Amino acid sequence: MHVLLRPIAAGVAIITVCLCVPRTVAAQEYEKWYKLSEQQFLELKQKARGGTKMTWDKLPDWTGVWTHDGGTRFDPKIPNYAPTSAKLTPEYRAKFEKKLADQKQGVEWDHLSYCLPAGFPRWITEPFLREFIVRPEEVWWINEQQSEVRRIYIDGRGHVPEDEAYATWTGDSIGFWDGDTLVVHTINNKEGQYNRGQPDYSDKVSTVERIRKVSADVIEDDITVYDPLSLVEPWHVVNRYVRVKTPNLRINMWSCEENNNVVKTQDGSTQFILKGETGYKDPNSLITGPGGTQAPK
Amino acid sequence: MKTLFATLLGAGVLVVGAVHLSAHHSAIAYDRNADVELTGTIREFQYTNPHSWLYVQVGDKTGQTVDWGFEAEGPSTLLLAGIKVSLLKPGEKITVKGHPLKDGRPAAILVSVTKADGSVLSSDAALRRGPGGKPIDAP
Repeated sequence: MHVLLRPIAAGVAIITVCLCVPRTVAAQEYEKWYKLSEQQFLELKQKARGGTKMTWDKLPDWTGVWTHDGGTRFDPKIPNYAPTSAKLTPEYRAKFEKKLADQKQGVEWDHLSYCLPAGFPRWITEPFLREFIVRPEEVWWINEQQSEVRRIYIDGRGHVPEDEAYATWTGDSIGFWDGDTLVVHTINNKEGQYNRGQPDYSDKVSTVERIRKVSADVIEDDITVYDPLSLVEPWHVVNRYVRVKTPNLRINMWSCEENNNVVKTQDGSTQFILKGETGYKDPNSLITGPGGTQAPK
Repeated sequence: MKTLFATLLGAGVLVVGAVHLSAHHSAIAYDRNADVELTGTIREFQYTNPHSWLYVQVGDKTGQTVDWGFEAEGPSTLLLAGIKVSLLKPGEKITVKGHPLKDGRPAAILVSVTKADGSVLSSDAALRRGPGGKPIDAP
């Protein structure tokens, strides 16, 4: 059985079980929304007649260094800390409003400050440099921040089997080529936020993306987000990546722990330990210098 | 320290749009509505991720010195703005502008650095200047 069809078969089995086992609304919603995103993906694949058979000579040229256009906005039309274009559920609308109110009171924290990855789909809007490595069977989308690599499998495989799946920072992405457009379905993400000043999403979030180079210096990512817990309807946005033309620019290893002295305050906000203060991690002494975390006696 | 803070320019109209500190942490600890402008000697330029820190030794009217930290973006973003690590050497005298911490400790978001030759380094293209303070083409 094609792996993509396994969730459908599993769904039939679950429905059978449901005749006698009560289930939560969230689980039902998730199943429906997962199918919606999978349905969109499969429809696009059917429309592309199973996808374009890609060979080295046909691959689009996405070489170069790129960066997200429009700051860290997930919907490029909507500024951070402004009303969102996402149609949020009451629970997530309340969360978002509290986040904005906290920020106005001077309280704001971001899990990135723990040196954790951004997570997906927030990953879409991360700043700094990016690179695409395009192969016939796989596309690697590299983000400078955290030196992250998002692997998109286009060799015909399905998603990770449900009994082996777990939430990851960049999710589980499979895709196919429709001509020069890369169509991607992503599931198994961790909960997170689209950014500070933007709403949160749950670990049930999934996406369908259509990525293509629309001009010599612009790659466009057309995204539909599905999330039964945070959205009352799918959220469609279009993000763009522009070519960085600075000569000799390279993407280097990016270590967040190299110089991170950001701490979370007792009220849940953001503060710094400055050089000379207790607890300061001096980037000059992390490798060979004195000090550091002491082992318990 | 009080005399140092007397150099704070207070509230003003600021060009902050190009001051990128949005990726790794919130900038909530900084007062973006206040400016600080200090002249001192570079102690160290930590050209690092997730952020770079420029430490400047600043003297006050009592003869004491304080190290101020100015936080900037990581190397790749600074390079895009033409701020090479080789341009800011320890021992060099500079004038530096930023938005200070709200709690009064000696640190700020870096806005610009003016070197002895009059050139201005900044992530904000509108602030950049060449030697002698002459305008340069934005990259």
